[in-house]
Amino acid sequence: MNPVIPGPVPVPLPAPPGLLEFLLVFTFVLHLLAMDFLLGGVIILSVSSFLGRRDSRHREFTRRVSRAMPSVTAFTITLGVAPLLFLQLVYGQLFYTSSDLMAWYWLAVVFLVMLGYYGVYWYQMQHDELGAAAAWVIVVTAILFIHVAFLFTQNITTMLHPQNFYSLFVKGQVGTILAPVTLLTIARLAHFVVAAIAVAGLGVALLSRRWQTESPELADWGRRYGVTWFMAGTLVQFLVGLWFLFGLPVEIRQALVGEKLPVGLLVAGIFLALLALLIAPKSLLASSVAILGTVSMMAVLRHFVRIAYLRPYFDPHLLPVQGQWVVFSIFVVLLLAGLATVGWMLYVFYRPAAARRASM
Amino acid sequence: MLGGGLVIGIIAILHVFVSHFAVGGGLFLPLTERKAYRDNNPALLEYVKSHSKFFVLVVLVFGAVSGVGIWWSIGLVNPEATATLIHVFVWGWAIEWVFFIVEIAAAFIYYYGWERLDAKTHLMVGWIYFGAAWASLLVINGILTFMLTPGRWLETQTFVAAYFNPGMLPSLVVRTAVCIALAGVYALITSSAIGDVALRNEVVRYAARWLLVGALIIPFAGIWYISTLPSMAREISMGGAPAVTIFAGLSIFFSVLVVAFAYYGPYQRPRHFTMVFAFLLAVLALSTTGVTEWVREAVRKPYIIYGYMYANSLRLADMQRVRAQGVLKSARWVRVHEVDPHALERAGEEVFRVQCASCHTVNGYNSIRFAVKGWSWVMIDYQLAHLSALKGFMPPFAGTDAERQALGAWLASLNSPPASIAVEPGSSAAESQSIDATGEGGSQQ
Repeated sequence: MNPVIPGPVPVPLPAPPGLLEFLLVFTFVLHLLAMDFLLGGVIILSVSSFLGRRDSRHREFTRRVSRAMPSVTAFTITLGVAPLLFLQLVYGQLFYTSSDLMAWYWLAVVFLVMLGYYGVYWYQMQHDELGAAAAWVIVVTAILFIHVAFLFTQNITTMLHPQNFYSLFVKGQVGTILAPVTLLTIARLAHFVVAAIAVAGLGVALLSRRWQTESPELADWGRRYGVTWFMAGTLVQFLVGLWFLFGLPVEIRQALVGEKLPVGLLVAGIFLALLALLIAPKSLLASSVAILGTVSMMAVLRHFVRIAYLRPYFDPHLLPVQGQWVVFSIFVVLLLAGLATVGWMLYVFYRPAAARRASM
Repeated sequence: MLGGGLVIGIIAILHVFVSHFAVGGGLFLPLTERKAYRDNNPALLEYVKSHSKFFVLVVLVFGAVSGVGIWWSIGLVNPEATATLIHVFVWGWAIEWVFFIVEIAAAFIYYYGWERLDAKTHLMVGWIYFGAAWASLLVINGILTFMLTPGRWLETQTFVAAYFNPGMLPSLVVRTAVCIALAGVYALITSSAIGDVALRNEVVRYAARWLLVGALIIPFAGIWYISTLPSMAREISMGGAPAVTIFAGLSIFFSVLVVAFAYYGPYQRPRHFTMVFAFLLAVLALSTTGVTEWVREAVRKPYIIYGYMYANSLRLADMQRVRAQGVLKSARWVRVHEVDPHALERAGEEVFRVQCASCHTVNGYNSIRFAVKGWSWVMIDYQLAHLSALKGFMPPFAGTDAERQALGAWLASLNSPPASIAVEPGSSAAESQSIDATGEGGSQQ
């Protein structure tokens, strides 16, 4: 037993770690897409709410976009459950320790999310009644969500340094210990927030296309406005990404550069982002597909970074496995059936005959 | 001050109160909507619409986030147990996650779809919501009952044995009945606000019927559920631990009050029913939920996973090793790894932190200072050495004699003035250790 690095529970894994890691990264990408739309969305709405005090286009834009936000919030939370579940399964002993050190802050996430969620609803339901105050409601909501992003970044970064657990532990009262906030953590947080703004820009541009029949002018304006956010965000992201990459410890970067796959992912990810940037004004859909590729590749790359950090301390591939294949198959079947059901409901909701009537 | 148990308790009780409504309300909405179509009652349909807004705001936000909150808090307070549950049940939770996705999508489409969808499709979406919500209860219920009645899993370690444990089915019936009753409680709140008197009387009475039907099933299913509990769990709730017995009594008392008020109030006299009355009923129902869930948690003591892991995260299988090696040497998160005879209290406090603090705080909830008030070191040591025999709901002390004495010294020092701390526990402690070894041998594999 290593005296400092916590060990996993003595129960075998219910599937090979490779499959669990795949599900971890795959569901994380799903969560990221919703989260980006939410976090970036409330930031864009904050800016537009202030501009909307004098500009009716911004006001109409925020009114319409705000309608999408409650369901985006719900899906951000729900889609976040799965990656956190697989993270706890594969890396539980590290995640629980880093969470416990900062337990009160970590618990605060729940309340911050709940407040932010009600903020989103308040903003949407009372958009017009709130008047000038609406801008402040959404600004506070954005601050709450950025706070959540910070606490996540902090915890998931602390988790990567089990060698520091004990020295953190003796530093103070368990539950109130935050690992020092380094430049690298800030870069990592910025990397996420800027990505969120870029993806949300693309998201609101796509959303604007739905207003084409009702108010073609606003739809056109909204598309260009969203694309501007996307392009600005992506350009800034190249700088932030470089900052983050070169902020990584040398040995981590070397470990990544030494292997073909991570380098390939990085290069392809950047290439697709550039491509998305160039084609965004012409084709939103193509640009979105390219960005989906970037987000997926970056998520896989992030997993390689995690493996590189933890290599000296923990390798999930050494854990005992006892596959629960029957239940796993039921999960896969139900997942497909569930997605089909959601697809059917979305179809009946959005089919053209119904769409002619105004949405609520 | 708060203590981990209390944090979990507060979040969990509120979540249970809302999440059962999420399921029961999911049945209430399509059934009432269908009734409105059948009776050709547009006013009732309007009521269902307004109820669905209330439903979405309560269930999707508070219900969902507080559910995540439980997960957050159990991971923080009992990481070992949470990790064990996730290893055993990860595919169960993954399945539940699929149901959540369907549930949330259906809830939004139901809520936003009043004008967009035709009646038949809208109703269908309502049924999909209910199906997914109840299925999520079906999954989590088996995981919850596993902790109290793990059944054959202790030998086989398989998912099937873990999920289809002895308490699973009766608990599912109890919880489904609770869902129906709570759907009535919440509907009483919204129906009490209806302006039209005739409609209000009708819906109030209708909602009260939901509450009464649910409440009627609960005692029968409850007895069935209790019959599956380990005998010690039953003893704890029926006299073995006074606090638990009082709470179990309160659970019955509050339930009877809820039923009596619902029957003589909204059911018999819907005309006189007001929103204040509705909220009073809701508070009573919340109290019932609170004390009942508290009892359900309490009767699991001294375990967190029955017969596998104690409430303080020590596995039964590890007890012998910890006893031989010492808890300070076995535990990772301690500042002191040995008992220094000149600084006993320091080691004792560390032992308290790793072995007792998952249930006790020093001064706050379940305060240890209060528990040892006026006790001498000798008395405390005797208690610690015989924990299983004297307090069956507490895990036995795990550690060396020196560690136990250090813990005793620190506990005694909490008394001011210290109660005869100068008198060291002597031969009686050594003697008690041998009694302890035989007395508890049965439960420690």
